Amino acid sequence: MRKTDNFARRRRERLLVFFALSIFTILNLVPLLWALLTSLKDPADAFTIPPTLIFEPTLEYHRQVWLENDFVRFLMNSLIVSAGTVLISVPAGSLAAYALSRIPRRSAGPILSTLFTIRMFPHMLLAIPFFVMGSYLHMIDTYPLLILALVAINQPFTIWLMHGFFLEIPRDLDEAAAIDGCSSWQAFRIVILPLARPGMTVAALFSLLLSYNEFLFALVLTGVDTKTLPVAIASFGGEDITSWSLSAAGAIGIMLPIVVIMLLLQRHLVRGLTAGAVKG
Amino acid sequence: MAPLKIHHAIKSYGAVRILHGIDVEIDDGEFVVLVGPSGCGKSTLLRLIAGLEDMTEGDILIDGRVVTRLHPKDRDIAMVFQSYALYPHMSVAENMGFSLRMRQARKEEIDRKVREAAAILDLTPLLERYPRQLSGGQRQRVAMGRAIVRDPKVFLFDEPLSNLDAKLRVQMRSEIRELHKKLRTTTVYVTHDQIEAMTMADKIVVMRDGHVEQIGTPLDLYDDPANVFVAGFLGSPAMNLLEGRVSDHDPLAFQLMNGGTIRLPRALPVEAGRTVILGLRPEDIVLATGGTKARVQLVEPTGADVQVNFAVGGNTVTAVFHERLDLEEGSEVALGIPMEKLHIFNAETQQKLAS
Amino acid sequence: MVRWQRGLWLFFLPSFGLLAVVLLWPLAYAFYLSFFDYYLGSDERSFVGFGNYVALLTEARLWASMWTTIIIAFGSVGLEFVVGFALALGLYRLHGSAKVLSVLLFLPHIVTPVVASLFLKWILASNWGLLDATLLTFNITPPDWLGDPFWAKLSVIFADAWIFTPLIMMVLYAALQGLDHALIEAAQIDGASNWRILRHIIIPALIPAIIFTISVRLMDVFRFFDIIYVLTGGGPGTATETITMYTYQLGFRMLQVGKASALGVITLVVVAVLLLSFNKLLNRIYRAGDI
Repeated sequence: MRKTDNFARRRRERLLVFFALSIFTILNLVPLLWALLTSLKDPADAFTIPPTLIFEPTLEYHRQVWLENDFVRFLMNSLIVSAGTVLISVPAGSLAAYALSRIPRRSAGPILSTLFTIRMFPHMLLAIPFFVMGSYLHMIDTYPLLILALVAINQPFTIWLMHGFFLEIPRDLDEAAAIDGCSSWQAFRIVILPLARPGMTVAALFSLLLSYNEFLFALVLTGVDTKTLPVAIASFGGEDITSWSLSAAGAIGIMLPIVVIMLLLQRHLVRGLTAGAVKG
Repeated sequence: MAPLKIHHAIKSYGAVRILHGIDVEIDDGEFVVLVGPSGCGKSTLLRLIAGLEDMTEGDILIDGRVVTRLHPKDRDIAMVFQSYALYPHMSVAENMGFSLRMRQARKEEIDRKVREAAAILDLTPLLERYPRQLSGGQRQRVAMGRAIVRDPKVFLFDEPLSNLDAKLRVQMRSEIRELHKKLRTTTVYVTHDQIEAMTMADKIVVMRDGHVEQIGTPLDLYDDPANVFVAGFLGSPAMNLLEGRVSDHDPLAFQLMNGGTIRLPRALPVEAGRTVILGLRPEDIVLATGGTKARVQLVEPTGADVQVNFAVGGNTVTAVFHERLDLEEGSEVALGIPMEKLHIFNAETQQKLAS
Repeated sequence: MVRWQRGLWLFFLPSFGLLAVVLLWPLAYAFYLSFFDYYLGSDERSFVGFGNYVALLTEARLWASMWTTIIIAFGSVGLEFVVGFALALGLYRLHGSAKVLSVLLFLPHIVTPVVASLFLKWILASNWGLLDATLLTFNITPPDWLGDPFWAKLSVIFADAWIFTPLIMMVLYAALQGLDHALIEAAQIDGASNWRILRHIIIPALIPAIIFTISVRLMDVFRFFDIIYVLTGGGPGTATETITMYTYQLGFRMLQVGKASALGVITLVVVAVLLLSFNKLLNRIYRAGDI
């Protein structure tokens, strides 16, 4: 008797939880949905009291922000910077992570702790010298400067992520390769690397995400030529409410590529973000 | 194929000494098994031969050449790992041919050698498959194929059969033995299974706690163990080891520590009152009238034999009979002990005194 | 290291060599700069020793920014943790529909923080933001969410929570899924109330994950810049000026890079101390209340 009571109770609970969560989810997405709506509105509809929910949607402002307001150029800048960061950060980080996974734990421990400590540094503390040295070398508003800054803050996380992946590749593969005639580099290139490809994809995506979203360094190190999307949209942000539709269109546009990519690969995302927490 | 010499091998990890100066000489073409309980250092010794670990002291010589400080790839050895260590992203053929590819041999030669090895091991239909598509036994054979293609001076096996089920293990045992007969490559084989050691080895090295306990042919070690450990390690069911002393007033009575008396047909070459350990193999015990009094504790018929546990005083004595006997548990019988099959060990040092 | 693996040390070269140049060198330079009075516009700088540090530590503005930082940091992390944990538990309860909901709930975290802040700005903006527009429709006069010193702080906390709660939710959800379900079922069959199950089984098992998330979040929240820059710019006045925002003002608006570097170093020390004491505290609780 009690068992079925329990059962029914739990089922009711589950339904309640589902409803509560669903309502929360919808409310939680309101800012996003509202921005989406705003981006499709005429400025006249965008700021009304009471807020307009039924209106004639238009894609005019989406078109405008990309084609007339230079956002395509900013997108190129973002892509160049992100690609540059990934192409440097992931290979370098993977090599270090592999070595880290193979040396005796005694030696690896301090190195891992140091890397974790570096992650703790306030980005501002790094932004200032980059800004000063960049000004001095006349490298402000160039791609390399920003890319190097992003590599610096990206490396510890990339190494940590790849380290986890390399640890899962059994060591006796290295040993078999050594016996079969491989030097350390050959073993890495021919035997280990192909197996690490899924891990490197995850690391690359994370690097991409972090570089694409980076604001502080982009703000202080870029100028007219190399301005990235986050910087562009921040200054476009919206003191002038008449351009809200435009800004909203820009914001939604910036958001879309990431959301699409990340939705497709959310399994890896979660795994990368949560690894280390669950295993400690 | 080549002779292998391990000279005074010492291995320490920091302050912990794993191997205490091991000396082993292996002749060209010999199949040597390193056997012992977990932690005895047999795998460590194998890895030292392979070059996967650094020796703290001592030398390894392969075919007269000192290889102690050489990279594994320069020692002309091949190894079969317990986990097989097959390259998952390469096909069976690529796995097997990998070492030749690294040596930059010509494609035709690689193909030829791979096909030859595959033929020997019955792997020809599997050449294009990938390791994840193979069964345990097949993977094992691919691992061996990879080693064969190398055509090394020494084969090293690290507990290759541990991951297989019992039936497969028996089959692979004979296959490895057949392979060795055909190729005659010097082989060092590590296992904790004494049956594998007994059935496969030309020579066995029994190890414990980083020391060599005894080296010899299987039958030598079986018939003439040098100490209590080797005596109890080889053979199944294990040898009965009974501690006790010859009675002061009756030289034919051996009083056991835990009570009970063994009746001997002749006197032992040991002075009365001195504590020694008697070793007696289960298959050497017979039922005899007027022998040692024993009570039947447990009868386990296996079909081919009957294994019986007897209680002699407070001791358990195991015997194996090769005929169907009608023994009731709890009944009293008398056991006969053949003198020539008896082993006597020093109680303190555990070393052989006489037999 | 074993002899045949000696070549591995070279593998560290690209990464660590790079880090030495783009990370260690600039950091050392920042540290060096902190001892100078250096206005970036001019070309002269004078050595002032600990002058910058003293000036900062005796400034009201600095302490105000520290206080603001602490309020916002603990407010955000506290809110994120409570909500994130509740959400994780809810998802854990659900099983099937959890997948879709978890993805939807995760969206605010994926979005570029600057963009997310803009979304929230358009909700919270006075008069025309969605919130105000809705409230005004019902003739309720709303406070100035972004322009009132008190409400601005809350808005920032809320914004940080909106963006980062999904992260905590995900980590804790993953940790929950790693739990031994049999334990919980056994307790349920025994009739234990949900609250007791939570307190005695779930929370103790989740402590490592909790420590990890809170540490990382505290660490990050101290450095966070994007949200405040977009939402309030540190204002009104200095109501939402955290240490980071103040450092930005010093270094990039007032171009006092020496003083800004000093503040950066101070921030580093604060974060380090906070992290260490937090870990020590939690580890002590963990060990004391050990099962």
